[in-house]
Amino acid sequence: MLGKGLLKGMRITFKRFLGKKVTVQYPEEKIPMSPRFRGGELELDMEKCIACGLCAMACPNKAIQLTSVMGENKKRRLASYIYHSGRCLYCNLCVEACPTKALNWDRNYENSRYFRRQLDVDCLLSSQQSGDAEGRF
Amino acid sequence: MQESMGLFTIATILREIMSQYVSNPQWVDLFMALINIGGIFTLISMAAIVLVYAERKISAYMQMRIGPNRVGLWGTLQSVADMIKLMSKEDIMPIGADKWMWVLAPVLLFIPSALVYAVFPFDQHAIFADLNIGIFYFLAVASQSTLPFLMAGWASNNKYSLLGGMRTVAQMLSYEVPIAFSILGVVMLVGSMRMSDIVAAQQDVWFICLQPVAFVVYIIAAIAETNRAPFDLVESESELIAGPFTEYSGMRWALFFLAEYANLLAASAIATTLFLGGWSGPWLPGWLWFLLKVGLMIFLFMWLRWTFPRLRVDQLMTFGWKILLPVALGNVLITGIGIYTYKFLG
Repeated sequence: MLGKGLLKGMRITFKRFLGKKVTVQYPEEKIPMSPRFRGGELELDMEKCIACGLCAMACPNKAIQLTSVMGENKKRRLASYIYHSGRCLYCNLCVEACPTKALNWDRNYENSRYFRRQLDVDCLLSSQQSGDAEGRF
Repeated sequence: MQESMGLFTIATILREIMSQYVSNPQWVDLFMALINIGGIFTLISMAAIVLVYAERKISAYMQMRIGPNRVGLWGTLQSVADMIKLMSKEDIMPIGADKWMWVLAPVLLFIPSALVYAVFPFDQHAIFADLNIGIFYFLAVASQSTLPFLMAGWASNNKYSLLGGMRTVAQMLSYEVPIAFSILGVVMLVGSMRMSDIVAAQQDVWFICLQPVAFVVYIIAAIAETNRAPFDLVESESELIAGPFTEYSGMRWALFFLAEYANLLAASAIATTLFLGGWSGPWLPGWLWFLLKVGLMIFLFMWLRWTFPRLRVDQLMTFGWKILLPVALGNVLITGIGIYTYKFLG
């Protein structure tokens, strides 16, 4: 029948009118990222890290800079761990290379910064202040 | 309750208060007329603010969005913010514009949109001018808004504006014919063009029940008349940018917008008066019933707008002349036969 499609369309829009809204009010609400999401910054678990340097070796862009010192009973200990997120291509090779699964992504997507130096993250600092997990300020 | 809250009662009280201070009754009449005009203008400008907000909210909800929600509670002050923004905008006139015509067009467009409010029965006895040709006056004045569109389109010296202006003329002239014929069905039933008579005739049964075809034809033609989607070929953003409004900015553009929403309100008010029984209804005061029904009609117009895509120009013309007009004419014929049979039977 002529005009049936029009009524059908109107029914759909009315259902939408009453139905649930899909808007996410972004700055207040955030969608949790998927477990395999790569992005944001690296999160270093100091408890698990054995300072082997495999992550820095795996990185194709040399985005990870770490130094280590020999501690007591011949165990390596991290002295510094700087992640240059400006150079990172988010390939995930460092996370895969880690033998103790100490590296993880923080699943954050708000990466814009005002200054270039703010892109270099001191992961040691941020893992110590795990409260707000921001090592740069 | 119904009577004591009516607009006419309020006007009577106001008149009594005024007559205590003003000795000459002619001055009282003048003041009352000025108050009425002020009321109508307030209604129009408030309507534009409220309707813009409603339009944005309704369109958002139909698209599963939330819509404006930052300025004020639930974004209610969004239109106010928009208005302030419009007023503070730079007034740009194109170099090649036909100056006088260009300046006059938005003002002239607003005049017929405001004039038609004179014959709307907002409540019992609350009608600014109860003309004996009320509905005819509405048709005659409303059709004047065609010319300012063409003026704006021509004077802008812009090919898109001119195209939009020409489309307006074609569209509004074409759809005035079915609108007149759809209204004729109601006028035939009432036997009068006076608005108060038309409302009074619907005390028992609304004309939407007696004239459903006329109602549908009126709704479709009114959408075309107010240049709203799916008949918004005049401004069609994707093809003509904004048609005749392209070159206007700031307050001039706002005047166009004001007239557009005034027209929408007028079309809804006429639909309410002709088909939905006007201000009549139980319990609540008449003007509230009128506003409720008008609100319902406006929601219907917005619902249609946010559901259907735009037609092509040739489809628009074909639909107007080959479908809508014969249907409206057939409705007039059947109404005539019906009235004759009804009288013949008793």
